Amino acid sequence: MDYKKYEIKKHGKYYYRGEWDDSLFKNSIAIVGSRQMTRYGEAVVDKFVSDFVLNNVITVSGFMYGVDTEVAKKTVEYGGKHIAVFGCGLNVIYPAENEKVYGQILENGGLVVSEYEPNAKPHLWKFPQRNKVVISLSSLGVLVIEAGHGSGSLVTAKLAIKAKKKVFAVPGPIISKVSVGCNDLIKNGDAKLVTSVSDIIHTKLKIKNEKLKIEYKSNTLEQKICGMIQNDPMEIDQIARKMELSIEEISTTLSIMGIKGLVTESGGKYYPVV
Amino acid sequence: MLSKILSASHFGLEPNLIEVEVNVFSKGFPGFNIIGLPNKSIEEAKERVKTAILNSDIEFPNQKIVVNLAPADIPKEGSLYDLPIAIGILASMGLVKLPIEKSFFYGELSLDGNLRHTKGVFLLGLAAKQKGIKSVFVPGESANEASVLSGIDVYPVKSLSELIAHLNGIKKIEKLKHTIHSSRYTDHEVVEFDFAEIIGQESAKRAMTIAAAGGHNIFLVGTPGAGKTMLARATAGILPPLNEEEALEVTKIYSVSGLIPAGEGLVRTRPFRTAHHTTSLIGLIGGGTNPHPGEISLAHNGVLFLDEFPEFSRGTLEALRQPLEDRKVSITRIAGSVNFPASFMLIAAANPCPCGYLGDLKRECKCTPRMVMNYQSRLSGPLMDRIDLHINVPSVDVNKLMNTKDSKNQKIQDSKQIREQVVKARNIQNKRFKGLPVYTNANMRNKHIKEFCNITKEANLLLKQAVNAYNLSARTYFRIIKVSQTIADLAESKIIEQNHVAEALQYRVRNE
Repeated sequence: MDYKKYEIKKHGKYYYRGEWDDSLFKNSIAIVGSRQMTRYGEAVVDKFVSDFVLNNVITVSGFMYGVDTEVAKKTVEYGGKHIAVFGCGLNVIYPAENEKVYGQILENGGLVVSEYEPNAKPHLWKFPQRNKVVISLSSLGVLVIEAGHGSGSLVTAKLAIKAKKKVFAVPGPIISKVSVGCNDLIKNGDAKLVTSVSDIIHTKLKIKNEKLKIEYKSNTLEQKICGMIQNDPMEIDQIARKMELSIEEISTTLSIMGIKGLVTESGGKYYPVV
Repeated sequence: MLSKILSASHFGLEPNLIEVEVNVFSKGFPGFNIIGLPNKSIEEAKERVKTAILNSDIEFPNQKIVVNLAPADIPKEGSLYDLPIAIGILASMGLVKLPIEKSFFYGELSLDGNLRHTKGVFLLGLAAKQKGIKSVFVPGESANEASVLSGIDVYPVKSLSELIAHLNGIKKIEKLKHTIHSSRYTDHEVVEFDFAEIIGQESAKRAMTIAAAGGHNIFLVGTPGAGKTMLARATAGILPPLNEEEALEVTKIYSVSGLIPAGEGLVRTRPFRTAHHTTSLIGLIGGGTNPHPGEISLAHNGVLFLDEFPEFSRGTLEALRQPLEDRKVSITRIAGSVNFPASFMLIAAANPCPCGYLGDLKRECKCTPRMVMNYQSRLSGPLMDRIDLHINVPSVDVNKLMNTKDSKNQKIQDSKQIREQVVKARNIQNKRFKGLPVYTNANMRNKHIKEFCNITKEANLLLKQAVNAYNLSARTYFRIIKVSQTIADLAESKIIEQNHVAEALQYRVRNE
């Protein structure tokens, strides 16, 4: 999965790796969002990207960490094509931990694109410039997932409005700091509120295949815990307190639920498996 | 006239027999020389010995005095040679009669002729037992250290003149009775926090109980102010007392390091050591030209608490790996190689990221993914793999703390109650490992696991499933069995059942 075996070529003012094909951009959507993605953002990306891939929509991102990286990773994971626009030269990988995804994007028939000379370093001033490229490569518009107050994603949204592109935004919890920007876009009428891919492409959607789930018999306590964390992920102490049971019993149950695949744990909190 | 006095020094924890030869003669220019590779502290013994003798109302000879510390090729240090040199001089002058049976003389002199508390008396006692020497003359304040050993006569000496009177048969010094319980260095421990003071954190408290009961290493991760340090310090209050063998091992190390206070004997309190993250590698692991035990050895059979774990230098952390596995550390220097025991329970605490608020609900984390990755990668996989229990200490919502309705349903246990459970579990382990050099479940080797751990079929099946589901390494597999064994011991169950394994799985390493 070495990206270096794909040569850097030039098309117009863009440097790129991969196979340039104008038809790629017929059905493309730019996805922008916060660098500090929350678990909610992750879930939103998963939901949207899986449906974009199924409906042959190409995703475009700015290849920054947070939402951008997650979009690239998920697109590749679902076998879709992704266009990553760099704010630096194509020989420079920024952020460096994305090297693996870089190769995977190219393997899946996607593109990496940059306006800059192959060895140009990343600079803060290059990123807004890069956002313009992201917008220009997307035909369907820009989707904003999680944007904080005054964030770069909002700048991109404003640029998109100027460029007469459509702007879509996914609403978030009103108390979440990284969703303030999204919610404001919707409130001010700058963006269209979207809750599924069908709100963006108005054709009939292909529906995501439900992964085959192995049915485990869960006992009443497990069902109760599942119900409790469905909407509000909790720490083990909270679950024990709410259930009025001892820590020993609850941790035993949660371990078994984890093996059964009913719950997952992240940062000390338990989440239901969807 | 020439006289020979026996004493002992130690290299690491091994005693060395030292013969102090003193010759006082009237030929030659008057002087006082010490030979046999003495260091500065021995060189200065001349002045101490001279003044102490003068202050004991004895005329110091204006003759040529030569002191040889044999064997002459071993470098020597410390103030312990003051007494043998003084007695040697007095014996050469014919002022005291040396005892007929072989005896050790040991201790530092004060200028007024009294003896001071000197480190290493416990090791001197061991050396006496090993070399078949019947009586030891040691400073009165240090004598309790040697009296815990049976089969030797310990004479507590208060001053030089008292010893002279004893040796000349004028007034005998009462020898100390052998007693293992001579020490008061036991119950009056001060523990900063009680577990009852820590509100919430039930799962962390439970994990601490398991760790203390089985001597398992534990790693606490949580946001600043969540109570990691408080939990760790409170653990000092739930540790079980040392059993006899453990106490002797600890006393040996403490005696060498001079950490036993004057007048005290056997160490009965389980050590609880903390080290700041600027502690040097040698300070932590042990070392020096004449190797001294480091914090990991001082925490032998006890607890070593390392707060801000990732802030320790990489080299220091990785140096912990071998002692964590082998439960001892070998230090090699030009002078030779030394083994120090280092069977400690590690409590390590860390923040989840440099700013500390990763995953916190109230505060935004300011770190980039790269910073988080760098921070977490300071703790290497092999190091993390050697820690049995990994727990998350979440920050507690203040409103929940105040909500009495919630806390009423759960009985809050205080340290005393938890300690009783821990002691019970330890007693089961003491019985299980009787006669083996293993004291806790955490110390079990794989062969001991095969021999002692009775695991039910269902429990084993669950464990196998977990290995597949979470990609657990072979080492983690055995660690989970050890933790399960401790949980079973806490439940006073003879076999490891499914629920014990399931609970143990909660504390495994999370790789994300």
